[in-house]
Amino acid sequence: MNVEISEVTRRFGRTEAVTGVTLTTGAGVFGLLGPNGAGKTTLLRMIATVIPPSSGRLRLLGRDPGEYGPRREIRRRLGYLPQNLGYYPGFTVAEFVEYFALLKEMPPGRVPHAVAAAIERVDLGSKARVKMRTLSGGMLRRAGIAQAIVNEPELLLLDEPTAGLDPEQRVTFRALLRDLGQRATVIVSTHLVEDVGAACGEVALMDAGKIVFQGAPAELTARGEGTGAAGDAPLERGYSAVLVAARSATAAAR
Amino acid sequence: MTTAGLDRPAPGSVPPATAVTRHGPAYSGLRLAGLYLVSRRVPMALGLIAGIGALLWAALHWHWNIAGGAAARQFIPLTLETGAAAVITVTTFGPFGEAERAAGRWLPWLRLAATAVLTALAFGALAAGATAGVLPGGSLALLRNFCGMAGVGLLSAAALGGAFGWAGPMAYLLVTEGALAHRSTSPWVWPARPPHDHGAAICATLVIAAGLVLITVRGPRASIRESGQAS
Repeated sequence: MNVEISEVTRRFGRTEAVTGVTLTTGAGVFGLLGPNGAGKTTLLRMIATVIPPSSGRLRLLGRDPGEYGPRREIRRRLGYLPQNLGYYPGFTVAEFVEYFALLKEMPPGRVPHAVAAAIERVDLGSKARVKMRTLSGGMLRRAGIAQAIVNEPELLLLDEPTAGLDPEQRVTFRALLRDLGQRATVIVSTHLVEDVGAACGEVALMDAGKIVFQGAPAELTARGEGTGAAGDAPLERGYSAVLVAARSATAAAR
Repeated sequence: MTTAGLDRPAPGSVPPATAVTRHGPAYSGLRLAGLYLVSRRVPMALGLIAGIGALLWAALHWHWNIAGGAAARQFIPLTLETGAAAVITVTTFGPFGEAERAAGRWLPWLRLAATAVLTALAFGALAAGATAGVLPGGSLALLRNFCGMAGVGLLSAAALGGAFGWAGPMAYLLVTEGALAHRSTSPWVWPARPPHDHGAAICATLVIAAGLVLITVRGPRASIRESGQAS
């Protein structure tokens, strides 16, 4: 298993953003669904080794990210697209992706080819020598995806990757996700249910810092059948039904 | 018939990977350092530091002076040292956020090397500027005062973020001017002490050492935008 999370909690002051999450996943595309403030980004940041958990156990690619040496190994094999990706406006797309390839300690001989391949995969080949400042929001997001996949990561974490992409690009991106998921563990955090239905083999639904559902998208769809839950698509109705049930259970427990 | 131009790629397009020369680890290291320095706007910082050195030279050469006591005599040199420290501090700000922090082990070393080299170059520029006339306390005081000020800036960047790191040296300048005006002799206000004072030298060294360690190990404080705690 590439990701093993056991009873992980993360607090920011008095706020508990993630509460006792347990999650295990191997190769494939894993969708992390949930409303705003559910704890998806915080969980992803912990898996990305950016912040440590307040309590609980985390093992990534068979290593403990709490120790320096293993964390370094994890980071070399990790691709991460954060929700808010920063960029230096004076860099070209190729320089931006190359910087991350070098930072991830890729073998020097492989860097030029890997940079070119990553840029082509996100369909920015014609913009490789263009400055980042001239790119549209969707193109910037694709450049962000290119930096995340440049090292052919074993663990790829994407936080709202389709934000800003047009419908055609989203379809292309989902195909890329399925392709990447054949070799690596890809965790996609999103609040767009249709992305999960189209690309993910497994999905977890988070609410109020907890995982309230984990299973195949078809199982989530089945949870919405005959419940009269809100939503235009079957998966959306399943999403709504699970959230309503989880919140009712929490209210009843109080 | 000429074939010139037939092999040229479209403007802005990605170069064919096979056309790129294969380089060794040394080239990769230099390339990474170059991209890091450009992303931190270090070339612009070097220009500003050179300008500050030239300004100090002009101030001493043409005897720009503010009449008064110790606070007034030191005002121009201290202001220029503060400016150089602020420039160094602002270069700790990185635009890439968490994607960069999750990408390997070189970032702390790049931060340390860039900050240390910039501090050394800035001291060199100020020392060169100081050759134009008589600087209060001489080169030894300049070294102590400037390094301490840079340390205040690095601590400030660690606490407030790289983009706001300049606030520390500015605040320290105000504190120093106030202390000089009131004839304070605390070693933590090192410009108020003689150049050979051990206490002041130790305090300034401690501050820059702490600043360098914090910036290397933890980096500048991340902004709320990039830490994205909302969801």
